Amino acid sequence: MPELLITIITIAIVVGAIPGVCNYLILLERKLSAWMQDRVGPNRVGPLGLLQPLADGVKLLLKEEVIPPHVDRVLFLIAPGISVFTALLAFAVVPFGPVGVDGAPGFLRFIIAPGIDIGLVFIFAVGSLAVYGIVLGGWASNNKYSALGALRASAQVVSYEIPLGMSVLGIALMSGTVNLEEIMQQQIAGGFAAWNIWFQPLAALLFFTASLAEANRLPFDLAECEQELVGGWHTEYSALKWALFFLGEYTHMITISFLTSILFLGGWHLPGIAEPDSAYPLAWLVKMLVLMGKAFFFICMMIMLRWTIPRFRFDQLMELAWRVMIPLSLANLLMVMFVRHFELSNWWMLPGSAALFAAWGMISASLREAERRARPGYVRRKKVEAHHDGHAAGHAAAH
Amino acid sequence: MNEWMQQHPASIGGLVLWAIGLLWLMPSGKPGKSRPGLPGIILAAAGVLAFCLGAGRGIDTLQSEVMFWTFALTALLCAALMITSKNPVYGALWFALATLGTCGLFMLQSAPFLAAATIIVYAGAVIVTFLFVIMLAQQSGAAGYDRRAQLVVPAVLSSFVLLGVVVQQLQTNPLKVERPGIVAAEKQSTTKGSATSPPPLPSPDAPIPPPPPVIPAMLSKATPETPVGSMKGLGRSLFGDYLFAVELAGTILLVASIGAIAIAPRREEGAL
Repeated sequence: MPELLITIITIAIVVGAIPGVCNYLILLERKLSAWMQDRVGPNRVGPLGLLQPLADGVKLLLKEEVIPPHVDRVLFLIAPGISVFTALLAFAVVPFGPVGVDGAPGFLRFIIAPGIDIGLVFIFAVGSLAVYGIVLGGWASNNKYSALGALRASAQVVSYEIPLGMSVLGIALMSGTVNLEEIMQQQIAGGFAAWNIWFQPLAALLFFTASLAEANRLPFDLAECEQELVGGWHTEYSALKWALFFLGEYTHMITISFLTSILFLGGWHLPGIAEPDSAYPLAWLVKMLVLMGKAFFFICMMIMLRWTIPRFRFDQLMELAWRVMIPLSLANLLMVMFVRHFELSNWWMLPGSAALFAAWGMISASLREAERRARPGYVRRKKVEAHHDGHAAGHAAAH
Repeated sequence: MNEWMQQHPASIGGLVLWAIGLLWLMPSGKPGKSRPGLPGIILAAAGVLAFCLGAGRGIDTLQSEVMFWTFALTALLCAALMITSKNPVYGALWFALATLGTCGLFMLQSAPFLAAATIIVYAGAVIVTFLFVIMLAQQSGAAGYDRRAQLVVPAVLSSFVLLGVVVQQLQTNPLKVERPGIVAAEKQSTTKGSATSPPPLPSPDAPIPPPPPVIPAMLSKATPETPVGSMKGLGRSLFGDYLFAVELAGTILLVASIGAIAIAPRREEGAL
């Protein structure tokens, strides 16, 4: 089949599937949050509320589109478009199934643009453009709250891009490529023990956290912080334009989940079920479902994180990026360089990551204590008696 | 130089027209007395057209021709709009679009990593920081000094003189830059070609043409495993051939960032 036709079919599949999936992710989010808070959640439309996304979609389509008179019309209208465009464009180099595996029907390629040598860098490049949707939407709204949200978004994205890129540099060094298909293929060929998560657990944590911040998900959604900024950058948006912003956000979530599974969890590999030599009928389908299952796991994790952790304060957000994540990702990169240079076993990186994490925790704790001491009006805590020490210290920390 | 000017009147005229058009379009900052933009646009467009026709280049396939002109005109148009727009936010946005156009040209030159890195650094970080500063500092509309262009005549004059000199140099003595991956393929085809038809021997009367200037072959050659556009080839070239330049640039950037931290006001001095 001609290459062009396959590409068009793949694009059609992706563009057709993602809005529907995003719709149901919103239902999943509402159901999961209801479950976590001991509520019922949406259950009126269809069995178990399963038709709720359709009703929501129709509602958003038919709602009145309000364009306030004081906005900058051009930028106000293109901002949601930029949001969706960049989110979808980043998905073009993400393999969403077993690329190049025998048995799959010819028209299914599982990736829109195969063989992109700079795959990972491309995703970061396009992802760094995604903030324009928020910044322009907030600025064009000509509203103090929106502008503040846009300001916060721009500072946040510029800061978190650094740990995001630096955390995966270790993987690029280990596998000698930034091509996503090749990174996945190397892990699959090596089997369960070659999953990158064993060598780069710290990088996985940093990557996942930084990409949550890039996607503006709670606890990093300072840009739309409701209790301070009404709705943040989308205060003035309504109906489908508002929905487009969230289509962009959920698409970003999907991309991140696929990326994390491909970079750290071995892609479609699952020991015993989806091996490179498993040849039972419909093996390609199982492999695709394995990859999607991993991505689904990360999506569920993001949703549950949202309903567990409260929002950061803005200075905490900046501190996390500049004082914790950037130094840690640099140290992680140095560790990979060290191991590669002296040709040690990759397994040294597992205790190394743990040691880095522990060391940084201790440094942060002592820095915080020193900062507290430097504050004016610092009262030295009373010494507690020796046999109560551990208990009392725990209490003091809790206060 | 003179010879070239006589040979390429269209290029020179185009450059001059283009510069005058841009000068006309520069924001003057007087809200009541803004010049009508149309004459400037016409002049600049005519200038660009004449310049492109005069300094035109030959590309082989229609596809790359269309893509080249699309990206090049996007970059040029957005750059012109960037310096002529009255609103600093729009100026920053046109800057971002001009960067994207330039990155398209990088892609056409099979430098995808350079393109992606430029997008990350310029469109993704630098311009977002500009927007941040503009929005933070001027929430009640742009300040007066941001609504008019500064040092218009020297800026336009120097940039267009520079452009003219670059084009003149490129046209009078074109550099034969060895592009490793492509050269390897070409060499194969020429060796095959020369096997069938040997090059004619130069007749003894004819003056020997001067050899085209070739960049010294100190660059690391690309192999079939590491073609020219790949990250591996780029990394080898950067950290092999240009190691000194890379380290120097890194040191300068480090000094600059230390200096920025040193001169930034401390919190006690009233910073945010």
